Amino acid sequence: MNLKLLKTVCFKEILENIRDRRTVMSSIVMGALFGPILMVIILNVTINMQQDKAEQQLSVAVVNQEGAQNLMRFLVSQDVDLVTLEGSPEDAIKNKSHDVVLAISDNYADKFSQGKPAKVLMYHDASAKGVAKVSVNRLRALINGYDRSIGMQRLQLRGVSPRLLQVVMIQEHDQATKESRGAMLLSVLPYFLIMGLFMGSMYLAIDTTAGEKERKSLEPLFLNPVPRDTILAGKLAATVAFGMLTLVLTLVAFKLTLPWYPFEKLGMGFNMGPKVMLIMLLVLAPLALLAGAIQTIIAAFAQSYREAQTYVGLVLIVPMIPSMLLMFMPIKEQLWMMAVPILGQNLVINELLRGDAVAWDAIALAFVGTLIVGLLLAWIAVKLYNREKMLFAD
Amino acid sequence: MISVQNISKTFGKVTAVENVSLEATDGKITALLGANGAGKTTSMRMIYALIKPESGQVLVDGINTHDSPVAARAKMGVLPDARGLYKRLTARENIVYFGRLQGMTEQAIKDRSEELIERLGMASFINRRTDGFSQGQRVKVAIARALIHDPQNILLDEPTNGLDVMSTRAIRRFLKDQRARGKCVLFSSHVMQEVSAVCDDIAIIDAGRIVAHGTEAKLLEKTGCDNLEDAFVALVGGEQNA
Repeated sequence: MNLKLLKTVCFKEILENIRDRRTVMSSIVMGALFGPILMVIILNVTINMQQDKAEQQLSVAVVNQEGAQNLMRFLVSQDVDLVTLEGSPEDAIKNKSHDVVLAISDNYADKFSQGKPAKVLMYHDASAKGVAKVSVNRLRALINGYDRSIGMQRLQLRGVSPRLLQVVMIQEHDQATKESRGAMLLSVLPYFLIMGLFMGSMYLAIDTTAGEKERKSLEPLFLNPVPRDTILAGKLAATVAFGMLTLVLTLVAFKLTLPWYPFEKLGMGFNMGPKVMLIMLLVLAPLALLAGAIQTIIAAFAQSYREAQTYVGLVLIVPMIPSMLLMFMPIKEQLWMMAVPILGQNLVINELLRGDAVAWDAIALAFVGTLIVGLLLAWIAVKLYNREKMLFAD
Repeated sequence: MISVQNISKTFGKVTAVENVSLEATDGKITALLGANGAGKTTSMRMIYALIKPESGQVLVDGINTHDSPVAARAKMGVLPDARGLYKRLTARENIVYFGRLQGMTEQAIKDRSEELIERLGMASFINRRTDGFSQGQRVKVAIARALIHDPQNILLDEPTNGLDVMSTRAIRRFLKDQRARGKCVLFSSHVMQEVSAVCDDIAIIDAGRIVAHGTEAKLLEKTGCDNLEDAFVALVGGEQNA
């Protein structure tokens, strides 16, 4: 293959596409910035909301306050805002006018004075998202506290040591590190990185193949004394270059947005040093080849730009699969998994996020495995254009 | 010198070209004349080695286009049916790109483009992006791009299609210049006046076959008509076939 001709084709495609502002905007800027910025915004908003709720005065709707005056006094002393509820507790939860409703049973006072368990009913929606849970948990903790303190007093009055009730004491040793807790939060990062490079190469893959076919410039191009596979290899090189550029920009964008992540508030940490970034780049780079080749193959079969966009757009789902899988299923990783494209990248990046030292054989396997599949697909893409059918849109 | 020997092509059940043979010699302009859908573009595509003939062969300066398409293409300059300029590149960038693909040196590309800009009258728009070019400007750029390497054999598919009088005359003048320089020019057309005005040899194609071949005078003599249009209609079997 003549490298000079390959470069000529590659540079022309790059020049042509850089002049197309829309392409540059959508593929590079969207691909690279969308993920990191979205992550920063979502994390900050949810954490601030939860924190606000935790620091705010807790407001509890109560039915039958008079039934448990001692408990009510305790809650007020704990700075709880008690509201008398009109209407049914079920409706109050259903129409979200209250996060939690406390109903005092009618025989509460009798049971209490007899030293039997006195019933209170707590209405809430366990499937409610986010901040409602904070109110429920705070109220439960307060009532549990009240329960314990009254219980201890009763035992002490009878001359029994409350410690007798403590049969087993659990001492927790959480082995999660700041980094591993951060990794949970950042588990979407590999997905955004992979997504970015797929988006970055998408428009070039379409423009240089289906686009060129639609504009009817493929025929004159193939009339030059250059083997078709050389031309296609040049186009693929330009496509992969855009994918790589987007990848590098995504990494840089992520690094630059790192200070805005609410790690401190969560007691989490993530150290993204140059070594971590380089390993990420290394394992993801062959994926750019794979992405460009797959997209070129698919775009080659399309008759028009629009058709190609539809098909290639569907391919964006592929990188989601391993990321989703890993998010919901804790897979015990095996070395061979590293060789599976996309899955290997996900595993390596997740380990990096956890602050673990990743073994070099895993990194090498992720790199080589993906590179082999990528080269194979690139070879198919390049050879496809030897078929006459691929040349004409008519 | 282009020698086409018994080429055929079918698409599914449709026979597009059947047993077409023709010779285009150096220093002459040869026309492939036929109605729309007669098989001109398919024949041309086989001649310039974009698609493979199912039988027969094409020799360009003695090189078999099927066996060595890359070498054969270096001997040809082709203006295909699809002009396909790159709209985001300037006219000059379009031309230079093809020069590089032809393997020319930067200096040779520069010299040759200046010559073509002069000959085709492209100076006023050479540095503009081709998006929004008129039909005539587009054809001129496409011709310059196709002929950047100064090939011995020039093939054009309907070169003056959709052009105004001034552009048409400019193209004709250019082709006559090329003939005078001893080039072999082969073009396809369905326009009688066009063919009549510039061609030395005419091959008439109808329904995928060559039905007549010769100079205009010979074709008129053969049919007993006094103009090419009548002769053409007579040769393709009358107007009921149209």
